[in-house]
Amino acid sequence: MQISSKELILLIAIITFIFLIAPLFLIIYIFLYNKKKAKHLEEKEILKKAFELELLKSQVEVQEHILQTIAADLHDNIGQLLSLTSMTLSSIKADHLREEKINTAAELTHRAIKELRQLSKKMNGQELIKKSLGHAIAYELDWLKKGLAYEILFTDNTTHSISAHASKELIMFRLFQEILSNIIKHAQATRIKITIDQTKDVLALFVQDNGKGFILEEKLKASDGLGLTNLQKRTLMMDGNFTINSITGTGTEIQISIPYQ
Amino acid sequence: MLYLLMVCLVEMVGISLRLEHKPNYALYTWFLVIECTMISCFFYHLYRKYHHKPSQLYSWLGLFISVFLLELFTNHFSNFAYKTAAFMSVVFVIASLYYYVLILKDEHFRKLETYPPFWIVNGVLFFYFGSTACNVFFDYLLQEKARSLSLSTRYVTFNILNVLLYSCWSYAFICRYRQRN
Repeated sequence: MQISSKELILLIAIITFIFLIAPLFLIIYIFLYNKKKAKHLEEKEILKKAFELELLKSQVEVQEHILQTIAADLHDNIGQLLSLTSMTLSSIKADHLREEKINTAAELTHRAIKELRQLSKKMNGQELIKKSLGHAIAYELDWLKKGLAYEILFTDNTTHSISAHASKELIMFRLFQEILSNIIKHAQATRIKITIDQTKDVLALFVQDNGKGFILEEKLKASDGLGLTNLQKRTLMMDGNFTINSITGTGTEIQISIPYQ
Repeated sequence: MLYLLMVCLVEMVGISLRLEHKPNYALYTWFLVIECTMISCFFYHLYRKYHHKPSQLYSWLGLFISVFLLELFTNHFSNFAYKTAAFMSVVFVIASLYYYVLILKDEHFRKLETYPPFWIVNGVLFFYFGSTACNVFFDYLLQEKARSLSLSTRYVTFNILNVLLYSCWSYAFICRYRQRN
């Protein structure tokens, strides 16, 4: 059977049409695949973030546990030993000259016991936070006032504590300790202003110093900006906001706010 | 841009030659070299991101020139080099498909709706895949007894393919322009 020229032309037109339809379907397939890829990448990113948060949570928990263990050890073991030493010293009966030295030693031991108890309490965050975040911060600031000459202004505007958020308060307290440690180590400040505010559903911590300040972008790029990143990550872990403003020669302001309802 | 200007010039010269009833196959035959070089360089530019070597481009262009010259010497420069055009079409279709494979394999996500290289490749694929039938049956279509040249199957097909190709390319240029601003 011979194919007529008309049929052949029709055949060529159909082939061309099919050859145009085929790339169209191929392109549609690539679009759909690409959309799936986008969804997959999005899920991967969410999982990665969730994993990082879990890791950070575990780190915080482990750190807290270690601090508690050390605090308990200090209080129970070394504290007991010092108490025993104090008792032993007070039971010694000696002549006038030696009695004075023994009394001095007993007094030093008393002071050591007192310092040790304060340190142990400071380390045991959960114990400290039991009353309130404001109380824990005030305790920390008392400790600071003893050793270093800073003008400290502390305002506690909290109204009530929510026991369900004790872990959040503890993380907030640890963040405060880190910020304070950074100020002491690097800022060369003379005045520190701390404010905690509580609204209906937000708990906010505001720390301001009059130190030498820094350029935030440079700090974040440099390896020593890791502390700031950690502060930021731990705030994000509580679904909070972390803002930092620093002006060279003027000082630094840090604000941490977390959902609290 | 220069290539598109050359396309316009070649088309205008081709039409004017046709109106003067002079053969224009020589013009389109030699333009094949420019067309092939341009599209090959474009594909090389796309593949370069995926660590392809320039030697592959030179090898392909060398092979194309050999086939092209062989066909010209075989038909004594008396006809359009349609076999070379068909061969080139097949290679560009494979190159387009290979680019899709690279996109699918790439872990980096791109928004393809507004990705200019993707739309340029789409245009190339539509044009060269769609023109395969016309290239294969080129000899037969030359003898087609249509009422006029503008109603011949080949002419109509290539007009549709040109519209598709340049629509895709125009869209790609618009996307690129928007991204730049």
